[in-house]
Amino acid sequence: MTQPLLADYFPILVFLVIAGGVAAAMVGGNLLLARRKPDPEKLSPYECGFEPFGDTRRRFDVRFYLVAILFIIFDLEVAFLFPWAVGLGEIGWFGFWSMMAFLLVLTVGFLYEWRKGALEWE
Amino acid sequence: MYVGAVFFPLLGACISGFLGRWIGPIAARWSTVVCMALAAACGVPAFFDVAFGHNPATVPIAAWIATGGLEVSWALRYDTLSAVMVGMVTFVSFLIHLYSVGYMAHDPTQPRFFAYLSLFTFMMLMLVTADNLVQLFFGWEGVGLASYLLIGYWYERESANAAAIKAFVVNRVGDLFFMLGVALTFWTFGSLEFTAIFGAVDQHLGDRFLGVPALELIAVLLFLGACGKSAQIGLHTWLPDAMEGPTPVSALIHAATMVTAGVFLVARMSPLFEYAPTALAIVTVVGAATAFFAATVGCVQNDIKRVIAYSTCSQLGYMFFAAGVGAYQAAIFHLFTHAFFKALLFLGAGSVIHAMSDEQDIRKMGGIWTRVPVTYAVMWVGSLALAGIPIFAGYYSKDAILEAAFASHSATGMLAFLLGLVAAFLTAFYSWRLLILVFHGAPRADEHVMAHVHESPLVMLVPLLLLAAGAVLTGYLFAPFFIGHAWEEFWAGSIHNAPHNHILHDMHEVPAWVPLAPTVAGFTGIALAYVLYMFAPGVPERLAATFRGFYLFLLNKWYFDELYDAIFVRPALAIARIAFRVGDQRIIDGVPNGAAALAVDAARGAVRIQTGRVASYAFTMIIGLVLFVSLLYLGTTR
Amino acid sequence: MMNWTLALPEAALACAGLAILGAGVLPRRHDMFFPISMAVIGALVLAGVLVLGQGDGAALAGQYVSDAFARFSKVLVLIGAALALTLALDFNQTDRDLARFEYPVLILFAAIGMMLMVSANDLMTLYLGLELQSLAAYVLAAFNRDSERSAEAGLKYFVLGALASGLLLYGMSLVYGFVGTTSFDRLAEALTAEHAASLGLVTALVFVLAGLAFKISAVPFHMWAPDVYEGAPTPVTAFFASAPKLAAVALLTRVLTQPFGELSAQWGQVLWLVSAGSMILGAFAAIGQRNIKRLMAYSSIGNVGYALIGLVAAASADPAVRSEGVRALLFYMAIYLLMTIGAFAVLAAMRRRGRPVEEIEDLAGLARSDIGMAVWMLVFMFAMAGVPPLAGFWSKLFVFRAAIEGGYVWLAVIGVLTSVVAAYYYVRIVRVMFFDAPGAAGALDARPASLTVVMAATGLFTALFSVAPGPLLAAAQAAVAAIAG
Repeated sequence: MTQPLLADYFPILVFLVIAGGVAAAMVGGNLLLARRKPDPEKLSPYECGFEPFGDTRRRFDVRFYLVAILFIIFDLEVAFLFPWAVGLGEIGWFGFWSMMAFLLVLTVGFLYEWRKGALEWE
Repeated sequence: MYVGAVFFPLLGACISGFLGRWIGPIAARWSTVVCMALAAACGVPAFFDVAFGHNPATVPIAAWIATGGLEVSWALRYDTLSAVMVGMVTFVSFLIHLYSVGYMAHDPTQPRFFAYLSLFTFMMLMLVTADNLVQLFFGWEGVGLASYLLIGYWYERESANAAAIKAFVVNRVGDLFFMLGVALTFWTFGSLEFTAIFGAVDQHLGDRFLGVPALELIAVLLFLGACGKSAQIGLHTWLPDAMEGPTPVSALIHAATMVTAGVFLVARMSPLFEYAPTALAIVTVVGAATAFFAATVGCVQNDIKRVIAYSTCSQLGYMFFAAGVGAYQAAIFHLFTHAFFKALLFLGAGSVIHAMSDEQDIRKMGGIWTRVPVTYAVMWVGSLALAGIPIFAGYYSKDAILEAAFASHSATGMLAFLLGLVAAFLTAFYSWRLLILVFHGAPRADEHVMAHVHESPLVMLVPLLLLAAGAVLTGYLFAPFFIGHAWEEFWAGSIHNAPHNHILHDMHEVPAWVPLAPTVAGFTGIALAYVLYMFAPGVPERLAATFRGFYLFLLNKWYFDELYDAIFVRPALAIARIAFRVGDQRIIDGVPNGAAALAVDAARGAVRIQTGRVASYAFTMIIGLVLFVSLLYLGTTR
Repeated sequence: MMNWTLALPEAALACAGLAILGAGVLPRRHDMFFPISMAVIGALVLAGVLVLGQGDGAALAGQYVSDAFARFSKVLVLIGAALALTLALDFNQTDRDLARFEYPVLILFAAIGMMLMVSANDLMTLYLGLELQSLAAYVLAAFNRDSERSAEAGLKYFVLGALASGLLLYGMSLVYGFVGTTSFDRLAEALTAEHAASLGLVTALVFVLAGLAFKISAVPFHMWAPDVYEGAPTPVTAFFASAPKLAAVALLTRVLTQPFGELSAQWGQVLWLVSAGSMILGAFAAIGQRNIKRLMAYSSIGNVGYALIGLVAAASADPAVRSEGVRALLFYMAIYLLMTIGAFAVLAAMRRRGRPVEEIEDLAGLARSDIGMAVWMLVFMFAMAGVPPLAGFWSKLFVFRAAIEGGYVWLAVIGVLTSVVAAYYYVRIVRVMFFDAPGAAGALDARPASLTVVMAATGLFTALFSVAPGPLLAAAQAAVAAIAG
């Protein structure tokens, strides 16, 4: 029982190896090929919108996170839509309406955040 | 009729006790009196019907207990023995109820008093008509309860409360033995019905319990129970103190009826006692000792009611040794006559106390005989009967007892005879000492009291006169039946005499000086009393001074109370104190208090874990998880 | 195959939720709280009616099951949710900050989550329902955004809840790893067959159990409860203490008796400890509390301990004891739910000059200023202490009886002893109300009508339950037959 089970996971292992390889190749390629002209701004780690170093208790704007979270939700929606679109022919009307229901839920949520003003920066 | 005699008093008690608040004291007390009158109207004819009409009966009422081998039912057993008691109790109780109407007229809580009094009467009747030992025990405890309530009737008085508690506790000591006796009876006979027990005595003659003959043991245990109730020496200490109760109570409970329950018990269980010679010997010795002891103490007491109380104690001793020598009939006869004249004496004493503005010390009385002629006369009658002067009731019964003691031809019988004779002398002496100190001589009370000396109202005098008639006549009228030629027919087997017991026959064939001796002793005692208290009033004091130790010994009642105090009360208090300090305060209180303290500590601990920090909460969760997993791992691998 | 119509109550409630959310947010107004609350209550009642009409069977590819047990729990969950929402109805008069229409909507979504939990027939459904309920609950805990304590409560609840969810998920993945399925039916079959008690499976079981025990705040996964109960607004606390607890207990019961029924020897031991620990902690830790909401938190921990006695009995080998145990458990939770909401109604009415007060001393002299409320509180406190003939007495009696019949005498003994201890603090509240002199701060504000309705409804149930216990017992019996028969 365990042998076939492990065999099922083999593609994941392959995937991990390839992903690691690609990442290593990109970083390594940069190191080998790119021109380096360091200056302080370039060397400092990047954080969206505020100082990377400082007191942990300082205030920061929650709006960054709001935007980030909204992005993730719709990002996932797209990630979900893609396989659905590919397999729509096989899953039929039930599949179609399921996705419609999902989109409806998201739409109501979107409606809510829009009316609440979450999309306006100021 | 049979049922009515027993249950009318209960009805009266209920009316007065439960409804007294609504119907008012007058209606309450008269309702009990009417109920008692009805009871007497049933009880006295029942006595004649059963005893002279030879018509014994058992009236079943209801099944009571039915568990496994034990079956007990409520039933009223009317044989001659019961009928004598029922007739006497209802009649005397009725008179005392009537008397109380006058005596308690100024008391604020009369319904309570009359309810207790009727309740007592009902319990006493249950006791005497019992058909089995359990019902008898019910009545036995019931009279104990009523007695406790009545002794402590004036509960504002500390001494009354103390006396009530003492009476109850001392009675409980006796009751313990009684219960053991009942239990052993059941163990031996497998039944508690009298009929079944008496029928089976033959088959159990040889039974032994713990190596002791079972019948002897039962008899001794029951007798010890009887000692408690009947104030025999050793367990007598409660009776004098019981005089704290109102005087009618003393008359009814502590003279005429309840205290005789022990004698009744011995007579009732005569089929058993007849086959327990050792127990009978013990009964004789204890009875004789009590008769003598109480008479000696009675000679020096100064409280009018206590003197009479000791005389009661002494007369009960007579009854017991009569039973001890096998003359149960004589014992019951004395019980019967004694009820009349002792009730008479107590009620007379009550009348005196009433007249003297609630003074009870005879040293503060005197010189009032012209002011209370009726009381004076009935006290004379009562004293004559008590002293056993011919014609009067006590003469017949007391003589019979002493003759029986003499005729028994045993060492214990002779001892009883001698002690009884001395006691007869002492009885006459202290009776006249009382009479003379109370009624004659120079008045020793203050003028204020003397100005108020008055004869009692009619409602109190009528019972006195009726009882006086009884004290004169009952002996003469009933002697032939109780102990005379017609006794076998009269008792009709309700008291059992073994085939070897010819005492009732023998007692009539004693030497001629024997019947005379008590009378002589009585007259001598009276004469001595006249000499010492009437003609030479200084002598008693000088005697007391000369024999100071002896006098104090008597005055302090042979130091029984002090002895018990030292042997039982103080150690018991000490144990109680230790039990209280260690057992109650430390352990009983300590456990819950400690537990409470522990709970508070635990609460503090539990709260301390609750730090408010998320990390520690998460840590706790993980610890719990690890704990459970490892627990199951251990469980699985084992 | 999908016969989704069986899940009509949940579907209808979800649609209603979306519609109500839209209706709440579209108008440009700020006084939508009350109408939306009424709409949500209506939706909950509608769902309740639909639940009553629900048939038996499995739906959505076996992920969802409807049976008497689920229906019994759902009806109670909906009642609890509706009553808890009623407690908040007066927000637009008393607490304008809290009178936002998201509040009822969140309760509605939590209710959907709970309904899914009790109808779960698969570990996935279980997780989804649980998370839906939990996410709504996290937000509700922090609903009073301007209060530090409320925010702290929400954050703590969220962090620890996430941990618990993690444990649960890990346990579920282990189960899937060992057995190869997440369906309850197939788990039950597979476990009977061969894997009965491998170490890995036992570990997985403990992780699942820990995740669920967190939701019902059983020792040692209870730590969040006092802080969250204290910090959250009182009507929210009332909600936390009632419906979600019942749903989680029902879920736990289904999970343990159905798929993991064969491992009862293992989970029985764990639950024994959890139950005993909860009872003891609930009894002792509450003694020193001054804040009445904290006290109620410990009380609710203790009550879960008592309820779990029934589940421990359900681990017994004897089928009769098993069903008796589950019945006692359901019975206990049903009565607990109503008692608790009633008590919290009184707590919610504790306001002085418009501001909520939470100390036990604030109740001093209540009998003089508001005898009606004092009497209701007395009924709830005595019922929780288990004084006959109030409802709380019978519920305790049944669990103890189940324990004794199952041979768990020590658990029953602990239960009785801890209820004696617990009686102390319940009675203390009564004493404060009836015998202490009112404090200097003055009397409490007059209570709003909505709270009176809740108090009276639950109070009458608690006080008069003994008169007609039949229907509830019969319903519990039917529910038991569905899962432990």
